[in-house]
Amino acid sequence: MATEVIMPKVDMVMETGTLLEWLKKEGEHVNKGEPLFVINTDKAAIEVESTAEGILSGVKAKPNDVIPVSEVIAYILVAGEALPGKTAPQPAAAIAAPAAVQAPVLVEAALVSTETVLSSKVRATPVARRMAEKMQVDLTQLTGRGPRGRIQKADVLACQKLPAEPVSIHAPADVYAAPVSVPTPAFVHTIPAIAPIPAPAGQQPAIIPLPDARRKQVVPVTGPRKIIAERMSYSASTAPHITISLRVDMTEANRLRERLLEPLKAQTGQRLSYTAILARAVATVLPRHPYLNASLCGGDIILWEDIHLGIATSVEENLIVPVIREAQSRNLGQIVTALADLTDRARSRRLKPAEMMGSTFTISNLGMFGVESFTAIINPPESAILAVGKMVDTPVKTADGFEFLPMIQLTVSADHRVIDGAGVARFLADLKSTLENPYLLI
Amino acid sequence: MTTETTREITYLEAVREALVQEMRRDKEVFLLGEDIGAYGGAFGVSKGMLEEFGPERIRETPISEAGIAGAATGAALMGMRPVMEIMFMDFLTISMNQLVNQAAKMRFMFGGKCSIPMVIRAPSGSGTGAAAQHSQSLEAWFVNVPGIKVVAPSTPYDAKGLLISAIRDNNPVLFMEHKLLYRMKGPVPEESYSISLQSAEVKRQGRDLTIVAYSIMVPRALEAAEKLAAEGIEVEVVDPRCLKPLDTETIIRSVSKTGRVLIAHEAPVTGGFGGELAAVIAGSEAFDYLDAPIRRLAGRDVPIPYNRNLERAAVPQVEDIVAAARALAQEGK
Repeated sequence: MATEVIMPKVDMVMETGTLLEWLKKEGEHVNKGEPLFVINTDKAAIEVESTAEGILSGVKAKPNDVIPVSEVIAYILVAGEALPGKTAPQPAAAIAAPAAVQAPVLVEAALVSTETVLSSKVRATPVARRMAEKMQVDLTQLTGRGPRGRIQKADVLACQKLPAEPVSIHAPADVYAAPVSVPTPAFVHTIPAIAPIPAPAGQQPAIIPLPDARRKQVVPVTGPRKIIAERMSYSASTAPHITISLRVDMTEANRLRERLLEPLKAQTGQRLSYTAILARAVATVLPRHPYLNASLCGGDIILWEDIHLGIATSVEENLIVPVIREAQSRNLGQIVTALADLTDRARSRRLKPAEMMGSTFTISNLGMFGVESFTAIINPPESAILAVGKMVDTPVKTADGFEFLPMIQLTVSADHRVIDGAGVARFLADLKSTLENPYLLI
Repeated sequence: MTTETTREITYLEAVREALVQEMRRDKEVFLLGEDIGAYGGAFGVSKGMLEEFGPERIRETPISEAGIAGAATGAALMGMRPVMEIMFMDFLTISMNQLVNQAAKMRFMFGGKCSIPMVIRAPSGSGTGAAAQHSQSLEAWFVNVPGIKVVAPSTPYDAKGLLISAIRDNNPVLFMEHKLLYRMKGPVPEESYSISLQSAEVKRQGRDLTIVAYSIMVPRALEAAEKLAAEGIEVEVVDPRCLKPLDTETIIRSVSKTGRVLIAHEAPVTGGFGGELAAVIAGSEAFDYLDAPIRRLAGRDVPIPYNRNLERAAVPQVEDIVAAARALAQEGK
């Protein structure tokens, strides 16, 4: 019995995965437990190990194919096994040629045997294609329920979440003028996988003509990019952002860092970063400002007991946010260790999806790029995000003239539905006094 | 069609009634064929007609289908309106030269100076245990010959109205009468009426799937539709009635409505009329409404076997239509 190689379901909400690359070639021997292929889920790239030993055969998927969960993409064969639907290799059979009358077909076979190669072209019925075009639905993002994933009318309708009443495609105006229902976010403990982009009621997406320019490349918005796009649009269009900045003198924090650099390196093997100090300071201060560690959920604001601190990290082209869980109960050394582990694995794309979910507050630091200050978009369903700029030696007036102090600019973007400006300012002032007297962190 | 004079008669009686009424109306109409007089024809269609019309108009012929077709073509050329009967459609093969090269061509080759108003009546199809040489459905041969019209009625009502139209038509018309339909009863008005040749009929309304069927496949499709309705699948049955000229509009409208189509016929699938129907649908505006591939359910590519079980298995039966229609209706749902 050939072992099926399937697109694994690596988290509860995963429906499709994109094959990034095969680590073995067709016909190559593979051991059980050996990495076989890499997939890109909505959240991360994941290496998938072989569940059996044998020869990789019958490869049906190629890089960048979007494949429904559980779909067979190849087989692992041991000696004497054949691909399903084919007979095992056997000695040249002396089977008499069939009689002149071939086995007739009553119903035309649904499966065309020559079409065994999984095509990257979208399989969709004519009516599904036509409706998708009119409704501006991207067929490549749909999973069809028809044979071999064929997208049919029902799939396009389901995707649009239109009224259950069958839609007459003869009267497109009625359909498309219908307001798209704005989903009420039902955030509980986890962030929804995909927050649909809500369009303002009754308004059609504007059609803006593309520039008359030569195209260098067309990059499909899929995987992490798609998730970022959807979540940021969702946040920007639903949460009224207020942004408030404050400058912090980092003289004492620098001193602390210098004093702890060596001991912490001996203890953890890692260098103490400013991000770690900021994370520790935020985790210490945040419990005193619960509305900044909160989520708006329907008619309620949920104040979180735990501080799951998201650290915005850029990996290649994409933003990912690994999470330090229960940061409030970790000391500086533990935060250094956790942070180093998460960012290291984020960059090598080895993070598990669960490690990038469920943050309650996010820190984004662009100081390493020389950015002095910026504002960030809240990572939903959080209520606030802290943007950290570069440390700049800044002249500050003193009693007898002025002196240069290492200052950083902290900018908080907060959801005004949850908290007001004064509340954000109090948090920033608290954070400032903590960083300026970092011994409070002990 | 329900008038005071409407009563239940068989398909066979409806064919006879059309012949009798047309012969009474027009003295140019006459029958010719093998054993159609005293014996009343192989299936009894012309029983009793010799008594009314006499041997001049109910002409018995030698066993020569080429002779029958040639005589009919000649008579039609001279202004008569012959209705020739071929005992089994299979033996039209013997008359093909007269029909294909003469009857179908003359009007065109003589620039419209003559016409060939004749009807070729031919019992068709399997199901009677008559084996490979007496059970064929050869409509696909004739639709490929310009100049011949092809009619395949499925009900007594359609048989009468379409045969009257066929007799009054000025072109050779092949009129297929399925042997198993002869005994089927249905409402038919007593008085004469005609049905336009190029007029398909929706025999049952449905929203989920269209079955295009003609001849014996119509009652089978209707029975299948009844069974599927119990499962919640609403099948629309469209009967083209006349294969050439074809009423494409009714078919396209139905498929545009349901988005799925199963084509059923008894003749072998390869090169069968179903391929033509599929191409007409795929090439029409119905294409944009298709939500599943066009499917054909047709006879197997075998000579009809004598063994009754094999004969049954060689052509689509009600249960085959139910299974194929169900699968098609559920695809992607």
